[in-house]
Amino acid sequence: MKIAVCVKQVPDSETRITLAAPGPELDRSGFTRVLNPYDAFAVEEAVRIKERLGADCEITAVTIGSDRAVETLKKDCLAVGCDRAIRVNEPALENAEPLQTAKVLAAVLRRGAYDLILTGKQAIDDDSAQVGPMLAELLDCSQATVVTKLELGEGVFTATCEIEGGAAVVRGSLPAVVTCQKGLNEPRLPSLPNIMKAGMKPQETLTCADLGLEIPAARTRVTTYSPPPPRAACRMVAADDPAAAARELARLLRDEAKVI
Amino acid sequence: MPNIAVYIEQSGGTAKKVAWQMTAEARRLVDRTGGEVWAVVLGDAAGAAEAGRHGAHRVFTASGDAFARYDAETWTRALAAFVAARRPDLLLVGATATGKDFAPRLAARLDAACVSDCVGLDFDGGFRLRRPIFAGKCYAEVAVEAPVAVAGVRPNAFPLFAGGGADAPAESFDPGLGGFAPHAAVVETLTSAEKKIELTEAEVIVSGGRGLKEAANYQLIETLAAAMGAAAGASRAIVDAGWVPHSHQVGQTGKTVSPKLYVAVGISGAIQHLAGMSSSKCIVAINKDPNAPIFKAADYGIAADLFEVVPALRDAIAALD
Ligand SMILES: Cc1cc2nc3c(=O)[nH]c(=O)nc-3n(C[C@H](O)[C@H](O)[C@H](O)COP(=O)(O)OP(=O)(O)OC[C@H]3O[C@@H](n4cnc5c(N)ncnc54)[C@H](O)[C@@H]3O)c2cc1C
Ligand SMILES: Nc1ncnc2c1ncn2[C@@H]1O[C@H](COP(=O)(O)O)[C@@H](O)[C@H]1O
Repeated sequence: MKIAVCVKQVPDSETRITLAAPGPELDRSGFTRVLNPYDAFAVEEAVRIKERLGADCEITAVTIGSDRAVETLKKDCLAVGCDRAIRVNEPALENAEPLQTAKVLAAVLRRGAYDLILTGKQAIDDDSAQVGPMLAELLDCSQATVVTKLELGEGVFTATCEIEGGAAVVRGSLPAVVTCQKGLNEPRLPSLPNIMKAGMKPQETLTCADLGLEIPAARTRVTTYSPPPPRAACRMVAADDPAAAARELARLLRDEAKVI
Repeated sequence: MPNIAVYIEQSGGTAKKVAWQMTAEARRLVDRTGGEVWAVVLGDAAGAAEAGRHGAHRVFTASGDAFARYDAETWTRALAAFVAARRPDLLLVGATATGKDFAPRLAARLDAACVSDCVGLDFDGGFRLRRPIFAGKCYAEVAVEAPVAVAGVRPNAFPLFAGGGADAPAESFDPGLGGFAPHAAVVETLTSAEKKIELTEAEVIVSGGRGLKEAANYQLIETLAAAMGAAAGASRAIVDAGWVPHSHQVGQTGKTVSPKLYVAVGISGAIQHLAGMSSSKCIVAINKDPNAPIFKAADYGIAADLFEVVPALRDAIAALD
């Protein structure tokens, strides 16, 4: 079994976005970058599958990212059990849109006959949740998205996918692209010795030219970044008597805010 | 003169609310710019009859056994066939589980622009779509620079059509599925036994956090939610503690919601929680710590013990006439 895990380095979830005024640029210089939290579920799932199958399984972590992403590949992928890593280094793809990303990832993935391709449910910076299904289309294979349980059989898979008010069970043939959701597993943390050893695992750095690919054109452009609409200051309801406070709140919600 | 196609997602023979919200917004837009709104229905055409009333000019349907159960590949092919035949400039798809599953796949097939989770729609010679990024900490205006775009639309972002639309003529189209067999499909749908209101679709949400002290007290949240016709949500702290399933989690790594009213009970207001709910129209915070950050995001606050306020609020709401 050959597994590929697509991982993205993203600004951590504590990140505050400071925008004095709407504008065409977002200042990303102060961001602390980490592995996209959903991709940690993808990495962990790959490692658990390998642990079940034994030696007959190889995990390749793939990222499109700048030199900063090397650390993520090492610490969060190789040190927790991925066997090798491939990074596509193209400055032009920094902040690429998902379809550009998917086209380049597909080119990387076509070079290996992967049975299973794991991605995160979505990247928490652009919040697109697009790359996984796009990869499945470009590779003409099965997909299952927002997966909380994954079972593999001989050439087939069964995935439990989160949907409104319940779950859908998707069954299909491998190869498949599976996008991973919280609940799938509990990601392990890398140990210090494993981080040290991770540096010895094979790592390949490619450009689009190496893949025989022109840098895919963007289909969209962000013209303006703006802060969220401002909110008026909170109106505190006097709370000395909880029952009176509750009645006053109910009244305000009905008569002033008109939301109930 | 853009033509906007709207995918009408149905479940159990009725259209999802977001389908008519998108239809309405598309209609408001083309009423300014010229162009038409086309409702596209796959499989059971029950919902098609209503489309005109919600603002559609025309309805296109495709039927057949292929649509008896959902799979991303069949939906992708059928809608790609529609786009190839009719050439809409924009296809709107609700940002539901199903919509998010196939829309990006469809965009890849069409080599189209793809924009997720839009909350604003405009046209000035090209489409401009507004969407939250970084879980709502920032908004991006996205210009479409391709002949066709697929856009996901967040539920509850747009009001329904008030213009009293006319009946829309319906015609069928060929989804081009002859002999096609998908690699994977939904084989079973598991819905939770109790009929709960889905968080992302709810107009009112009551969420509880660690201030509830223990799992059994989450029932306070459920009771208040029931009294308000609301869905019940949670902070990550109590999801991680195992009090409620992850499907309840609101926040950056949970659900992003924008109901009319969001009531946060015993939730401190960590940046990751705010990320998932700060676009709610009205936010109420109940927290005994007057300095809790949640009050900075709220419209109304009560700084008091939730164990006293929540039951009283339930009674007060029940007493409203
Ligand atoms: C990568 C990452 C992703 C995350 N994603 C999410 C996410 O999606 N969603 C999310 O919610 N969090 C998320 N978090 C966690 C977040 O940082 C907070 O830890 C979490 O939101 C805290 O939950 P809480 O407000 O319930 O608990 P606490 O922060 O412990 O707050 C409890 C609150 O209850 C109040 N309280 C206590 N007793 C009472 C009482 N009797 N009456 C009234 N009030 C009372 C306290 O004053 C306090 O403000 C994430 C964190 C990370 C690192
Ligand atoms: N630059 C990238 N390199 C590798 N994988 C990526 C990249 N961007 C996105 N992905 C994968 O696609 C998933 C969904 O991303 P998105 O569609 O941007 O929300 C992420 O969780 C990753 O698994």
